[in-house]
Amino acid sequence: MNTSSIYDRLTEIFREVFDDDELEVIPALTADDVEEWDSLNHIRLVLSIEKGFGLRFSAAEVGGLKNVGEFVELIQSKAA
Amino acid sequence: MNPKSADIIVLGEHPRAADTLTLDELAEGMTASVPFLILQEEMDRFAELSGDFNPLHVNDEFARGKGFKGAVVYGALIVAKVSQLVGMRLPGRDAVWASVSLDFIRPLYVNEQAQVEGVVTEVWESTGMVKLKLVVRSAAGKVLSKGTAEVLLVRK
Repeated sequence: MNTSSIYDRLTEIFREVFDDDELEVIPALTADDVEEWDSLNHIRLVLSIEKGFGLRFSAAEVGGLKNVGEFVELIQSKAA
Repeated sequence: MNPKSADIIVLGEHPRAADTLTLDELAEGMTASVPFLILQEEMDRFAELSGDFNPLHVNDEFARGKGFKGAVVYGALIVAKVSQLVGMRLPGRDAVWASVSLDFIRPLYVNEQAQVEGVVTEVWESTGMVKLKLVVRSAAGKVLSKGTAEVLLVRK
């Protein structure tokens, strides 16, 4: 799966989770940039990404992510 | 003096110490149940607590006029028993309840024995989220309510 298609699918997921059709998902995006990105929504986001991509992550893998770009790298490494 | 629930329910002694299932111990298919029955005293206390004095719940005659056998137990009191299941049994002490969805299919009446059952349907190691399927059954085995709950297992 190429990076562009991952971002396309992530954008759909982010917009669904945060109920924001204008949300732009870029590599530098973090929880600080999205008002609704609280701890519970973070969990819903991770679950939605796991379901959306058919992947499972460990707590350590998810806990170490600093931004969306790193999440995409994790998805790529898992989907490879 | 009115009896307390704990005096009547066979298995529902309302233990004060919660079970402490960890994420590693939880697995799909794991089940737990909480037997209960709702006393008139508890209905009265909930009416005061909630301010919901709808006659369907406080007036037997009115409820019978609507086609029920008597005053119908508040759905929120059934949810309260789900709270006991989640907070004390499955997964217990380290649970943080994130969501619940419950359909009320058949009425539950005062002093009618029932139980709420939970089945683990999903365990997400990445986030500590556990999903439960919920079923509330009468003593005769009829489904009174069913739904789902999401519970976060807090590690620290």
